[in-house]
Amino acid sequence: MMTSRILRLSGIAALIALGVGACNSDTLTDINQDPNNPTSAPPGPVFTNAARLAMGRWLGGGAMDLRGPEFTVQHLAEVQYPDEDAYRRLGPGDTDGDFIRAYTQDLKNLQAVVDVGKSENEPLLWGPAQVLRSLVFSYVTDVWGDVPYSEALRGDSGAIAPKYDAQKDIYTGLFADLDAATTAMAGAPATAIKLGAADPFFSGGAAGWQRFANSIRVRLAMRLANVDATTAQAQINAALAAPGGLISSNAQNANFPWPGDGIYDNPWMVNFRTRDDHRMSNTLMNQMLPHSDPRIPVYAQPTVANPAVYAGMPNALTQAGASAYFTISSRPGAVFYGATVYSCPTCGARTGATFPSFVMTYAEVSFILAEAAERGWVTTAGTAAALYNQGIQASMDQWGVTDAAAVAAYLADTAIAYKGGTPGLRQIALQKWIALYTNGVQAWAEWRRTCVPETLVPGPDAVQNTVPRRYQYSIRELSVNGANVAAAVARQGPDVFSTRMYWDNNPTVAPTYPGATCGTR
Amino acid sequence: MRRPFVSSLVTSGLILLGLVPAVARAQEATIVSGQVSTRGAPVVGASVSIPSLRLGTTSDGQGMYRLTVPASTTGEVTLSVRRIGYVTRSVLVTLTGGQLHQDFVLEASAVELTAVIVTGLGGEIEKSKLGTSAQQLNAEELNTTRAQNLVEQMQGKVPGVQITGSGTQGGSVNIIIRGQNSITQNNQPLFILDGVPVSNADRGGDRGSGFDYGNVLSDLNPDDIQSLTVLKGPNAAALYGSRAANGVVVITTKKGANSGGRMRTELNTNVTFERPSILPEWQNQYGQGAGGAFSWVNGSGGGVNDGADQSWGPKLDGRLICQFTSPGAGTPGCTATPWVPHPDNMDVFFRTGLTVTNTVAVSGGSDRAYGRVSLGGDNVDGVFPNNDFRRRSAGLSGTFHASDRFTADGSVEYVYNSGKNRTGTGYWGRNPLENYIWLGRQVDFHALVDYAGKSGATNGGPPTREFNWNYNYHNNPFWLQEQNPVADRRDQVIGSVAAHYRITDGVNATLRTGSDIYRLGIEEDFARGGLAFIDQKYAGGFRFRNDYRSDNNTDLSVTGERRLSDWLHVNALVGGNQRREYFHADSQQTAGIVVPEIYNPANAAIAPTIGQRIERRWVNSLYGSAAFTLFDWWTVEGTGRNDWSSTLPAAARSYFYPSVNTSVLLTDALPRLRSRVFDAIKLRASIARVGNDAPVYKTQPVYIGNANKFNGQPQFSLDSVLANANLKPEITTSEEVGAELVMLRNRVTLDASWYHKSTRDQIFNVQIPPTSGFTSKFINAGEISNRGIEALLTVTPLQVPGGITWTSTFNFAHNHSEVVDLAPGVSTIVLGQGLFGDVNIEARKGEPYGTIRGNKFLRDSAGNILTSGGLPIQDPAFSVLGNIQPDWTGGWSNEIRYKSLALSMQIDVRHGGKIVSLTNYLGDYAGTLASSLRGRETDWNSPGIVVKGIDADTCALPGGCKPNTTTVTAETYYQNLFHIIEPYIYDGGYVKLRELRVSYDLPANWAAWFFGAQAATFSVTGRNLITWKNVPNIDPEFAYSSGNFQGMEYMIPSNPRSIGFNLRIVP
Repeated sequence: MMTSRILRLSGIAALIALGVGACNSDTLTDINQDPNNPTSAPPGPVFTNAARLAMGRWLGGGAMDLRGPEFTVQHLAEVQYPDEDAYRRLGPGDTDGDFIRAYTQDLKNLQAVVDVGKSENEPLLWGPAQVLRSLVFSYVTDVWGDVPYSEALRGDSGAIAPKYDAQKDIYTGLFADLDAATTAMAGAPATAIKLGAADPFFSGGAAGWQRFANSIRVRLAMRLANVDATTAQAQINAALAAPGGLISSNAQNANFPWPGDGIYDNPWMVNFRTRDDHRMSNTLMNQMLPHSDPRIPVYAQPTVANPAVYAGMPNALTQAGASAYFTISSRPGAVFYGATVYSCPTCGARTGATFPSFVMTYAEVSFILAEAAERGWVTTAGTAAALYNQGIQASMDQWGVTDAAAVAAYLADTAIAYKGGTPGLRQIALQKWIALYTNGVQAWAEWRRTCVPETLVPGPDAVQNTVPRRYQYSIRELSVNGANVAAAVARQGPDVFSTRMYWDNNPTVAPTYPGATCGTR
Repeated sequence: MRRPFVSSLVTSGLILLGLVPAVARAQEATIVSGQVSTRGAPVVGASVSIPSLRLGTTSDGQGMYRLTVPASTTGEVTLSVRRIGYVTRSVLVTLTGGQLHQDFVLEASAVELTAVIVTGLGGEIEKSKLGTSAQQLNAEELNTTRAQNLVEQMQGKVPGVQITGSGTQGGSVNIIIRGQNSITQNNQPLFILDGVPVSNADRGGDRGSGFDYGNVLSDLNPDDIQSLTVLKGPNAAALYGSRAANGVVVITTKKGANSGGRMRTELNTNVTFERPSILPEWQNQYGQGAGGAFSWVNGSGGGVNDGADQSWGPKLDGRLICQFTSPGAGTPGCTATPWVPHPDNMDVFFRTGLTVTNTVAVSGGSDRAYGRVSLGGDNVDGVFPNNDFRRRSAGLSGTFHASDRFTADGSVEYVYNSGKNRTGTGYWGRNPLENYIWLGRQVDFHALVDYAGKSGATNGGPPTREFNWNYNYHNNPFWLQEQNPVADRRDQVIGSVAAHYRITDGVNATLRTGSDIYRLGIEEDFARGGLAFIDQKYAGGFRFRNDYRSDNNTDLSVTGERRLSDWLHVNALVGGNQRREYFHADSQQTAGIVVPEIYNPANAAIAPTIGQRIERRWVNSLYGSAAFTLFDWWTVEGTGRNDWSSTLPAAARSYFYPSVNTSVLLTDALPRLRSRVFDAIKLRASIARVGNDAPVYKTQPVYIGNANKFNGQPQFSLDSVLANANLKPEITTSEEVGAELVMLRNRVTLDASWYHKSTRDQIFNVQIPPTSGFTSKFINAGEISNRGIEALLTVTPLQVPGGITWTSTFNFAHNHSEVVDLAPGVSTIVLGQGLFGDVNIEARKGEPYGTIRGNKFLRDSAGNILTSGGLPIQDPAFSVLGNIQPDWTGGWSNEIRYKSLALSMQIDVRHGGKIVSLTNYLGDYAGTLASSLRGRETDWNSPGIVVKGIDADTCALPGGCKPNTTTVTAETYYQNLFHIIEPYIYDGGYVKLRELRVSYDLPANWAAWFFGAQAATFSVTGRNLITWKNVPNIDPEFAYSSGNFQGMEYMIPSNPRSIGFNLRIVP
């Protein structure tokens, strides 16, 4: 009797064991295969996503453009909640997210395309990704200074805490990266795989990417003008000689085309759709209004109070002070609101949601070359005066200004007509600063290098007396990569707004500079 | 006289069928019979047995039982009766053949040692033999006053269990047992319904945006619950496996019983009225504007400050100002109207909620088969306009004794739960309450009610907008609730079938399979003109979401119970389990539609974004336990379980965890201890360990697809979370000792525990330097420990036989949580952030879980606030500002009964623990709270505020630092506080009069009139009646979700105060 019970019990125990054992390890491993997301992705979709994220950040509606540098550089002023304008919301808590996402979204995904492209030896896959990666790295270093570059983006190889490279070394690296990409793309065989429609800039065309790369290279080279003129001159000439040349018409601009489908709209337009915080800054309008700049009706809208009047407002007022300007200062241009259709050679008949972001333009390249010519660094591109006028004309065309007479009158204005020498350098810098409207970080970097216009000083309610010369390091990095951040701070200087970065560190060499008072209230 | 006839009829029928052979030959048998009752009412379903003969039955609907003892057995035996929730009774009877009558009167028991409670996988056990901490709540204790859902019904009744109600009706409830174990993963306990794990998944909102759709468990009908047992930690729960580390709540539903073929009916009807229990105190002296100025033109900045949503405007002294309601508003001919306050403009918004719940259940059967069927319906009209909830539930359970060896039982619960127009939570355009924080205090909400037939064009605003007081930042709150449909609907089925086979005496095998399946559909519609989510160019938008979840568990187990000698009793269990979880969510949304009010993908103007997510997890397990009881007073139990989980890498997939516990009934071991003071003393101790697996799909890197196409091109992004192919299971260990005392002839009972538990090798997502290209990595690291004490003391100060009885219960729990370690180099993990980057809730090394960190005032070394220009300076660095963990929690409940009349009340206490109130923070900023009147007692800019502090600007001057003497306006002062969160951290402690109830037991013959029911009770109940608190303007008790980010609120409605009536008819 007892034996049979034991037998029956053992039988059941055996059944249980079998039942569990039947589900072997392979089944459980299969269950844990993510059915939602692939373990590998084609380079095209990764490139598209990274490009869209990066452009939305650096020419977008957030802390790295519309709500940060565009106030810092006083193209715009804040009329409702003047916190960013007073540098109150540009602290590490406010800019941390963009620093993090620049690396984890923009750069890491571009790096993934570079890695795949190189392993498959496809230069037209990795070339464009490397160019865009260089552009994003340049934005990051121009905002924060010393940042991780040579050891960055390798967490999947176990390099979890990258060191911070000196900005000088980053620039050296970027020149080499751009050079390598240009050369490789130029040498790509006809059978090379292209990004095609996955490339929103040039649909995979190698020539467009070479011009884009060479133009970024002259931009970065000129940024070193005050600290390393030799390198600056050498890189500009190398870029001019590199395969593909520079952007030489508005049709060749690197524009980012927003589809305007309600999901991916022009990011400024997205902000203005629900917010009414932005007005034109006096600092910009005071440079444009006295000379009847034909770009005024594109950059700005007439005031609500008087439809015949365009006006700016001061930066960084108190809230009550700012709100007084609500109806008597100009909103940014109707082109960002979709109210009026503008047409220009580079953007076509696009407006509002579909208005493109201008990433690298013929106008900017012209001004860089004008400065190089004025400095006597290049002689082949034309005279400084011709290049200066070419830059202004290119900017007018880019923004859809079609009134040739008005443009001619503007060029003939005594203050605008090119003067040459140091006054000429100031004119070039001022025109570039005006032309770089919407490209906040570039305008801010150029202002730091040239101190033009000198009227750019903190507003009355700003939390400090000097215009920020960088933003503060990421809180996240401080907490989890503290030793490397500390090394960067030791090298570069205190982690504050007023610390100058490498290329901003030799102001007296800048011929346009008024001295140490630059940007001081 | 009908009963015995029916009974004998059934018996003869069974004899005829040959199903009861034992009876058939019982010529000389002893028939033992009698009634089991309590307080004069019969006890149904009590188990009556003669353990030494392994004979047993259950009492029927009249409480009657009948046992037939074969003639071969005579002499003295122990006859005992057990029933969940009652003290076990045993008597010695002498079998002599023939009839033997024995009645039992049971005493209800919540905490007494002798009670039988539901525990572990083994079923029921006398509490005296339990070596771990468990507390059981019975139906009567749970449902005295009706809370919004089952979990909230436990509030304040179990020490060590912290339950936080949501505030929003139908919203999430957070439940934490003995502190948080996990740094970033789930900290909610496991719920088991009749042996089947059920989901308590949550779709909560947050302080940023969203809607709170509540927890799945809220769907269960409390009237179907027989008892609810809380197993507080790994010690009691080790056998339940991985998910038990946070404790287990074992829910047993009502089952029905042998009623001798008669139908038993029960009814519970409940009607309550609700209002918000706490409303902010607003100021009524200044209206909309800034700098003391306001005039309306178009509500978006066209006039003087008419786009501002703040109350720093002119004094509300009746002066004439053009307002949004003024005749001709929006035109040059606007007729100015008196500028006066509207103190009732929040009261206008809320309505009195009405909750009507009904449950009707029918049960009955014979000794071979019995069952219960119930139907429930809840209709809730919420306190928000146009917000209501419906719940329909149906339950069926049945037990079928096919033979004396084979029994099957099964149950199915179907619940249909729907919510309409839940309000948005947090800081976005869909929270109608935001209109009150950001408001012109002169706004007359009576004018906003009648928006029909008007539009923005009526008063100068955009014609595509609804009529409102502001066109910049706000939607009309009535329009939000009435014209933006939100609907959610959850269909849930929980079912299980079990077959039990008696292999031999004392050895039973059970095969059980059960599933918990629900589908949750959510539709959120956004009408044209809404400021949240949609693209203003289009006619509106929508978000649809469907969740499907199924959790299937199949168990095969064998239990054995045997008295091996007169001093040794063994209880053993061996079994296996397979768990298969499947989750599927899909969604589509668009921010633009073509035709207004058609919320359908076919009407999308912007291509809808489509999302899909599938998750699967399988866990296989083997488990076993053996309990040895020596001399009937010392029990030692060991358990072990091994899991194989799909979410771990193959090499680390299998993990084993054991536990040991023991209990000693000291008063039986040393009878001399039993004295006038002590009736019983029990000591217990246990040590346990529980392993847990990883979240799904964390061992391989993936590219995540973007739901949207860019210009027709797909987009993929490398997951910014670094996968880890070397994950290991995480391990929780726990030690616990406890004592249970029964004193002064049952007048005082005390159940106290001390515990320490620690979870190490936690699987969590640790932040890594983002410059590595990844934001975080899943690793095994970190440790949280919780140690604490808890006690439950029940005293009966008054007990007059046939007269008054007063029972008072105190519960107390103190838990000390400590984040012992995080990952190498990591000192803090952010659990959640404030709205403006100025405050975090964190898990910080060396501190209790839930540190509040944020910006504070900059101070000098003596602690004085430093000012500049008369305004406090913000300390740029984050500082620790407090912790959300309470020092202790407790409750005090009382029941005073005099004959048929009873008064009961319950008070909940939370002592200490800080909270962050963004309502106060922003209400001061916007100048709408009464507290923002400081500094403008006279006029908007007078007398102003002189901040008490040191003027830092003077420190650089000769003569050194001087006190601040600069006067600033209240507007400047409060707006300058932005980003200085320090003054808005409050003590979150409270004392709540949670429940108050007066009940009357109707005469028994009245009850009998209703389908022969046994008892009927009518009561008047109240919930959340009074709150004593330290934080102004808000209810310190709030939860947006059951997630780990707690302790920070923004304009969340207070828990409703409800008053109502209840009629309960008990079968």
